[in-house]
Amino acid sequence: MREYPTSNGAAGDDMTSQLVLQEVAATELEESPAAEKASRKQRRQAGGRRSIGMFLCIVPFMVLVFVFSYFPLYGWIYSLFDYRPALGLSGSEFVGLQWFELLVSSPTQVAQIGQVLLNTLAISFLGIATSVLPLIFAIFLNEVRAPWFRNSVQTLTTLPNFISWVLVYMIAFSLFSSSGLVNNVLNDAGLITQPLKFLDTDQNVWLTMTLWGVWKGLGWGAIIYLAAIAGIDQSLYESAKIDGAGRFQLMRYITIPQLMPTYLVLLLLSVANLLNNGMEQYFVFQNAFNKETIQVLDLYVYNIGITGNSLSMATAIGMLKSVISVALLLTVNWIAKRVRGQSIV
Amino acid sequence: MKLPKKAVAVASALAMVGLLTSCIGGAPEAEQATISEFPDKWDEEITVDVFDELANYMGIQEGWFGDLVKKKFNMKLNIIAPNVAGGGDTLYNTRVSAGNLGDLIVTAKGKKLNELVEGGLVLDSAPFYPAMKNVEKFDTAVTHLNDGKDGVYAFPTSVSSIKPTEPSEGIDPTFGPYLRWDLYKQLGYPELNTLEDLLPVLKDMQDLEPTAPNGARVYAISLFKDWDGNMMVTAKQPTTFYGYDERGFVLAKADGSDYQSILDDDGEYLRTLKFYYEANQLGLVDPESTTQNYDTMWSKVQNGQVLFSWWPWLGQAAYNTDANTQAGKGFQIAPLKDMKVFAYGAEAYGAEPVITIGSKAKDPERIAAFIDWLYSPEGTYANNSQTMGAAGPQGLTWDLDDSGQPALTELGQQAFIGGEAEVPAEWGGGSYIDGGSTLNVSAVLPADVDKETGLPFNYKTWPTYQELVKTPLSEDWKAKMGDAPTTMDYLKDNDQLLVAPGASYTPPTDPSEIETLRNQVKAVIVQYSWKMSFAASEAEFDQLKGQLQEEAEGLGYDKVLEFDMESAKAQNEAREKVAEKLG
Repeated sequence: MREYPTSNGAAGDDMTSQLVLQEVAATELEESPAAEKASRKQRRQAGGRRSIGMFLCIVPFMVLVFVFSYFPLYGWIYSLFDYRPALGLSGSEFVGLQWFELLVSSPTQVAQIGQVLLNTLAISFLGIATSVLPLIFAIFLNEVRAPWFRNSVQTLTTLPNFISWVLVYMIAFSLFSSSGLVNNVLNDAGLITQPLKFLDTDQNVWLTMTLWGVWKGLGWGAIIYLAAIAGIDQSLYESAKIDGAGRFQLMRYITIPQLMPTYLVLLLLSVANLLNNGMEQYFVFQNAFNKETIQVLDLYVYNIGITGNSLSMATAIGMLKSVISVALLLTVNWIAKRVRGQSIV
Repeated sequence: MKLPKKAVAVASALAMVGLLTSCIGGAPEAEQATISEFPDKWDEEITVDVFDELANYMGIQEGWFGDLVKKKFNMKLNIIAPNVAGGGDTLYNTRVSAGNLGDLIVTAKGKKLNELVEGGLVLDSAPFYPAMKNVEKFDTAVTHLNDGKDGVYAFPTSVSSIKPTEPSEGIDPTFGPYLRWDLYKQLGYPELNTLEDLLPVLKDMQDLEPTAPNGARVYAISLFKDWDGNMMVTAKQPTTFYGYDERGFVLAKADGSDYQSILDDDGEYLRTLKFYYEANQLGLVDPESTTQNYDTMWSKVQNGQVLFSWWPWLGQAAYNTDANTQAGKGFQIAPLKDMKVFAYGAEAYGAEPVITIGSKAKDPERIAAFIDWLYSPEGTYANNSQTMGAAGPQGLTWDLDDSGQPALTELGQQAFIGGEAEVPAEWGGGSYIDGGSTLNVSAVLPADVDKETGLPFNYKTWPTYQELVKTPLSEDWKAKMGDAPTTMDYLKDNDQLLVAPGASYTPPTDPSEIETLRNQVKAVIVQYSWKMSFAASEAEFDQLKGQLQEEAEGLGYDKVLEFDMESAKAQNEAREKVAEKLG
């Protein structure tokens, strides 16, 4: 165990924690064999005090984790009932595994969930594939010499991140709807006679959704890389320059390798979020024509639970997400064990 | 060190559970003594929350109606409208979970009402019922509605003394093929034998007027998506021209002679989808249909950008302004030879919406008095909204003329024919239209007769009004239609109306499994219906149709259909029974 300075632990404790400490000390005293040497007792006592102090520091966070990560699991119980909000859980009928049976009852149902998972993973992987774009953008932006230009580009590309998806959809609608700007321009130019359907089509939905995501997140994603670039030791560049490296060689041999650790950490985090691609974006863009290819897991749960008013069924499907996440985690862990000989959980 | 960690975790868990569960569950209600009369006035002003599933307005009721309620009951109405809030049943679910839906509740009978009664969310109004003298006139309907419940939990709506075999709708049916009559006239009133004959006619009409006065392009048909339910709502409407109405996934004919599954190859629903597909091929369907909502479409009709309407309360209400009809322009019904328009008979025991008092209502007595007032002649004139044709408060918009006939006042004419009028300050001020009741529920049917005047509450049926609104448009229509005074008269005389007796049938509650299956299937039906309407070719249309039938079946369509079929047949039995008893 790591040693902490004593002053941090006991100092400033109020009455209650003093009491707790005494109690703990007493408990530990009982646990120790009677033959223990006094000095050892004393050391353990001091160590216990310090640990308790540290423990109390993390209690608030443990409570938060419990409340927001574990307590909601209690909600899984709704999947075993036919939940009617007006009657409350106690008044609702207990139906056992009915909803789970329904999920696998027909091939069409299974195919629908399969399609939803496919959409979720496809959009997530496209998102991961494009996660290299902010990196490239940051590297090139960093090479811009004129500060005013660099700053304004950065501001303009960061701004979309703060626009809500609803407003993004408004922009998309006024540009690309059948009576939107793009169709009007093309129509007036005589290039088309029937409006092109950009929004109400099931063609390339994954791609367009990813592009909207990139447009919204590019500048924001670059910030962390710009910060990382600022942290690169300038002497590396200087010595490379002395060795006669050009601009692109500097980028290739100094900047990119230096950014790789940051990039890999972010990549790992995004893999962990594979099933969490949110729903706002897909919710605002969904319509009868693209529903099949745009419905990701979170949106599917929303459509069934809130729009379809089948809260219990939606809970059952939502549990699917946790199950798959745990499976993914175990798989990654297994790979890590095989490759590095060390597990990550 | 292990022990306290566990202890803390358990303690905080218990605390959290306690915290979270404490918001659920309610206090027992106080015992209420039975009263036989309401007080004349109330001293303390209160604001009541009205959870109204029919309202299309959210916030405090303003204007002359708000003023009237304030003067009579010293009460303000705070309207909570799920329609405005959006998100389906989210608002309802959140509020019922919290244990308080509202002080005054307008919801639907059947499943929802039963749930609310069982969950203890609505109040038994039995103690106030003896004092409710206006509701008492409709005691049969009240008893019927609360049958099997131990008390008076809900009050029926759209009650009347009209026979259930008579249409409840006044001078216009709810549905009908309404066209821009001026353009139809220019084409020389081409004959319409059946639904599909509309296509070439609409095409010619659109060619006659390719752009609206505001410069926008005219499309004969404009669809919208926000009312879609068990099916694409605009695709169901033409089936009503042939006497069908929906009961889940079943289209049931008003006289019980036919029941169709909406996915039947030769059924009326797929026929309509084909109709829209063909219309779209001819360039008649507004391309914005797929994304727009009712409001957008409404303003297009208003601006003359649309030439066809399924309902008089769309085409006529939006476009037939005084200026337009004087110029001979406007929507009128253009009968199809083979049509038999579905009409709702007057509901013998009230319509689907019900009015109830919340179990945690502040001052339930005053709310009961307010509900009672809604059933009085004064309340009927005031509460029924303008689109339902109620005349407004006597003395403001109408009054008895020298011969004792009800007639619109100057202000009433401005409001109902001109489209807008300013209300004098002593009536609360503001615009008449904006100040109308936002409850959007009829306690008494506006077509019912006011004993005082001997005429319906609905001003549109008054002879004085008919005289007032003679326009070149209406005269031309009448001349062409063999001098029929109103649409309803024409349809009745030509045997083109099929009245479904108003049996106040409440469909059985969907068992949870059926409900879940239905929700999934209907999402697929709506999705494919839109795709089919906008299919690129006949082959694609047929392919999508096949996919729809297959996918719906795979999700359990047949199970739900069977359930709906039984319910449709039970509804017909109830209709036959009520027609025999009261018709």
